[in-house]
Amino acid sequence: MQAVGTRNSRVWAGRILFLLPVSLFFIFFFIYPFLFTLATSFTNWRGIGSMKFNGLANYKKLLLDPTFRKALINNIIWALSQGFIQVPLACLIAMILVRKPKGWRFLRTAYYLPNVISTVALAMVWVAIYNVNGPLNAILGVFGMEPKNWLGNPDTALFSVIFQTVIYIGYFMIILLASAMNISRSLYEAAEIDGASTIQQEIHITLPMLRGPLVTTMTLAMAYGMRHFESTFLMTGGGPAYATTTMGIDLYLKMDALRYSEASTAGVFLILMGTVVITVLRKLLGKSDPMSEMAQ
Amino acid sequence: MLRNLKLVVVLMVFSLTFPLFAQGQSDTAPQKEIELRWASIWVGNDSKAPAVEALVADYNAKNAGKIKVVVEPQPDYNAYEQKVRTSLAAGQAPADIFTIKFNPTTATFYGSKLLMDFSTTMDSDWKATFDAGSLQQSTVDGMLKSLPMETAILPLWYNMDAFNKAGVTTLPKTLDEMFADFDKVKAIGMAPTSQMTGDTNAWTSMIWFSHFAVAFGGTDVWSKPFTDPAFVQAATLIKKMITEYSTADAVGLGAGGSGGHFLAGRTAVFSNGPWYAGRADLAATPFFSSIKIAGLPAAGPTTDFMISRLQANICAASSKDKAKEAAILDFMKYLTSPASITKIAETSGAMFAIKTDYVPKQELQKQFYTAANSAKTTAFDLEAAMGSEVTLEFAQQLGALALGKITPEEFCSLVDRKIER
Repeated sequence: MQAVGTRNSRVWAGRILFLLPVSLFFIFFFIYPFLFTLATSFTNWRGIGSMKFNGLANYKKLLLDPTFRKALINNIIWALSQGFIQVPLACLIAMILVRKPKGWRFLRTAYYLPNVISTVALAMVWVAIYNVNGPLNAILGVFGMEPKNWLGNPDTALFSVIFQTVIYIGYFMIILLASAMNISRSLYEAAEIDGASTIQQEIHITLPMLRGPLVTTMTLAMAYGMRHFESTFLMTGGGPAYATTTMGIDLYLKMDALRYSEASTAGVFLILMGTVVITVLRKLLGKSDPMSEMAQ
Repeated sequence: MLRNLKLVVVLMVFSLTFPLFAQGQSDTAPQKEIELRWASIWVGNDSKAPAVEALVADYNAKNAGKIKVVVEPQPDYNAYEQKVRTSLAAGQAPADIFTIKFNPTTATFYGSKLLMDFSTTMDSDWKATFDAGSLQQSTVDGMLKSLPMETAILPLWYNMDAFNKAGVTTLPKTLDEMFADFDKVKAIGMAPTSQMTGDTNAWTSMIWFSHFAVAFGGTDVWSKPFTDPAFVQAATLIKKMITEYSTADAVGLGAGGSGGHFLAGRTAVFSNGPWYAGRADLAATPFFSSIKIAGLPAAGPTTDFMISRLQANICAASSKDKAKEAAILDFMKYLTSPASITKIAETSGAMFAIKTDYVPKQELQKQFYTAANSAKTTAFDLEAAMGSEVTLEFAQQLGALALGKITPEEFCSLVDRKIER
């Protein structure tokens, strides 16, 4: 009996030992900063000097701020575009590549390549592509179209910044491709014997079998959309006239103006919005998610 | 097995906590030499870097064994500004010595006890070496927590080779003459000016706007509401400059692009500070020797003024250690001495808030000094006067103004709502 107890305590000590490093990191780098952010969001702290409690004043100010509301809408557009454009595109490519057409290995690498290139470098390339005198306008000019200032016009800036993220589909494609490759070939052989066409096989076998990874990739993509910052900041700085601003950029610029408590409030909103979007998404799509079934 | 496990736990705890004790030891260890960390932006390609490096080496040699200044290079100014902000917010000075761009936003730093207050440590002899106006501008509520170091005027730069090609041989004296000249420049297929609405301050266009606003509203224009007619007039003119007299990509363009157009000879007029005069790529342009520096042609009731700013103020961390505080003051006195400033000015062409007998030899630098000395009066630019938040709003709405999405009156109202009163 005592031997069993000793073995149990050893097992628990081992578990704690393995969990300890990551738990410490999680507490120091997420829980503590989050609680600090939450606490400062109820103050008038400017980064320097003392903090004074000011209740919900920052939340009220933020909700009345047209720039923040614009940022919120833009983030929702980002999240939807990432989840419902990027992931379906990635899925389509994964479904093609899983059939191993000629040169599929090269294409797999080529699609993934932008994910290992610096965002800064790619953003600069896109700024050059979208320039009034850039290659995009040169190509469109061949078809008789007038050159546009794609990033300088509030009507086209947001679309232009979102469009360039299409090159990052390789990240989701790899996840979906790996899952698609694990689908048993016997299912396709049986369908073929029953006379199912390629498209029918994809619709009735591949897509249902990929439902779990699709929910996961959509969650990842939408979470990225909700916290999007880098490429927009590098390409437009959130402009012109805040047309491309996001909650992340708004938060950064508030810190830049030494409005730390307001930046904290924006940070709390960012976390709340991200949680809401992901929860709703998983509620809607997660019913047949094998991961959620396993969890039950 | 359990003993091994205990050993692993002990080693892990020791490895995690050891650096804390190791750090603490340096404070208690006997100090032979005081080390001062200087987070310097005057490094790398900065025109002041060689002279500053030589000055630090000279100081270290003279104080060997007593004081050692260690330069921590900060080549990325934006990242450096973030570091200063976050360090102070986290309750730590970014270094023993560091610089800030002084404006109403960074004046908030004066509320920090981490910064040394020079108003209590500065003797009259040292004080007398500074430009009194710059010292006064750097004083907040009686505190002098940063010393004015680098100053700048922000004039207009004319590529006279381009103007000559367009048949213009003299600088315009009035606004009407200026637009007439710009039309001639346009006629030879060149964009007259470098404008931009990108980045957080729409830098080159912000300088033009500041010139217009001061011309119409006087040197105290920044104390007026942004809805004042002077600002509306300035907004109307800057819109005209961007839409009619600049490159097609001006809306959304950053400072690199705006400067790049001038360097590449695609635009004829540029606006920037004296530090740009020391750039190697500017010196390599075929029109370098033709550049003329001037203020805005007469546009409104205020004439013969120059837009200026405190470009870099130098701060020091407060220290309870009297020896360290004395060392910091000693180095600051050395760095801001007229002899040191002359050496930096000679090689960089930059301008300073410390009085010296230095007269530049290089033609472009000479023009800056002449322009600064000949101006009847000076006024801050928008960013220096109003801080980063108002300037950001200016930059964001400038694109909408240029595209006709908002009127000049609406533009001014939008900027006005960001002013803290």
